[in-house]
Amino acid sequence: MPAVLTVDPRSGVPIYLQIIEQIKRSVALGILQSGEQLPTVKQLAIDLTVNPNTVARAYRELERQQVIETSPGRGSFIRSNGVTESPKVAAEIGRDALDVALREAKSVGLARDEVRELFDAALQRWFPTFEK
Amino acid sequence: MSTITISNLRKSYGRIPAVDGFSLEIPGASVFGLLGPNGAGKTTTFKCMLGLARPASGEILYDGKPLAPAMFERIAYIPERSVLYDWMTVEEHVEMTRRAFRSFDPARAFELLATFNIDRRRRVRALSKGMRTAVMVALAFARNAEILVLDEPTGGLDPVNQRHVLSLMINEAAKGNSVIFSSHQIGQVERAAEHIAVMDRGQLILQGLVDDLKADRKIVEGIFPDITFTLDGIANDARVARADRTERVVRLLVTGGADEIAERLANAGAMGVRVLDLNLEDIFLYAVSPATSTADVVAKETSS
Repeated sequence: MPAVLTVDPRSGVPIYLQIIEQIKRSVALGILQSGEQLPTVKQLAIDLTVNPNTVARAYRELERQQVIETSPGRGSFIRSNGVTESPKVAAEIGRDALDVALREAKSVGLARDEVRELFDAALQRWFPTFEK
Repeated sequence: MSTITISNLRKSYGRIPAVDGFSLEIPGASVFGLLGPNGAGKTTTFKCMLGLARPASGEILYDGKPLAPAMFERIAYIPERSVLYDWMTVEEHVEMTRRAFRSFDPARAFELLATFNIDRRRRVRALSKGMRTAVMVALAFARNAEILVLDEPTGGLDPVNQRHVLSLMINEAAKGNSVIFSSHQIGQVERAAEHIAVMDRGQLILQGLVDDLKADRKIVEGIFPDITFTLDGIANDARVARADRTERVVRLLVTGGADEIAERLANAGAMGVRVLDLNLEDIFLYAVSPATSTADVVAKETSS
């Protein structure tokens, strides 16, 4: 896999969170499919030039969030429990992004109705419905 | 897997304390970064760890045991200044290291020298600073040591070779060995180190997991509509490590609970409240620069 995975160590976002975010995103986009094997902790650490324990921490957290599963001796895989996880993960990513946007809107003092107006306009731009 | 425990280490040169009551636990099987301004005591700490300097007091234990001669085989050290002999060739240094250490792998050393593009037949005299660093790196990483103590292991190296040294460090950690290194290039420490410690004037001023420090330490910023406002005691919260105020703008350095403190700041009447991430350089600079005490800010707050 991840030619798609990169980290920015200079960012203020912890590296393990960057790895989690990117793997979830790859799952949501179907770049990583259920049952697909992830690189070993050691391999990913070497590929990204980051500490192996940092990668291990990301994997542990992804396991806790039920995005991946690890079987001893075989490696880590994108969870495949019959249903694909990607819609759920996609919803999580969208919800987090909306959260950030709404917090910002509130902090600059917009009122609820103004936010709704902006939201509807943005929704129409990105998810157009054509009315006759 | 060695855990290194440094307890209450003190060492002075003349009347000047280089290390002044320094305690630290360095976990094994990882990469540990030691940061600090020039003269903070990093090199002295390393020398004490290696038995090259005798501490005035305190102790250093490896898995609970003091340093013994038998352990030198297990520890590789790259000193801050070149310890290579000018009149010897690179090849002769490899041979010398082979005679000194049983587990040294000369073939691996030559392989590493080749990746750094160093001609083994050259005399050290003819090598640049960066090339000398590369020779010491090649010798240290071919030692098959369990603990690598690296004092500025990328000094003088170009970015490609710097990255190469970081990869070697990562590789050692992945094998279960312990790497302890110092660097003024905070970006390198940020990338490769799991834990860091910051020294200043011989003392430990900050330590932790890089990722946890970044997750916990944030700047909470808010702008008040008017010059007269009250922080409602927020600055006295134990998690507010520092508070700076410029006119209507308040910036709080928090060590946890950023979202909660942001909410309190908004409730106190601040607009545009933001939570800003800090990278390791920011965290380092805040740690070593004198803080505007929260008391000052509170005093300013009430006087304005």
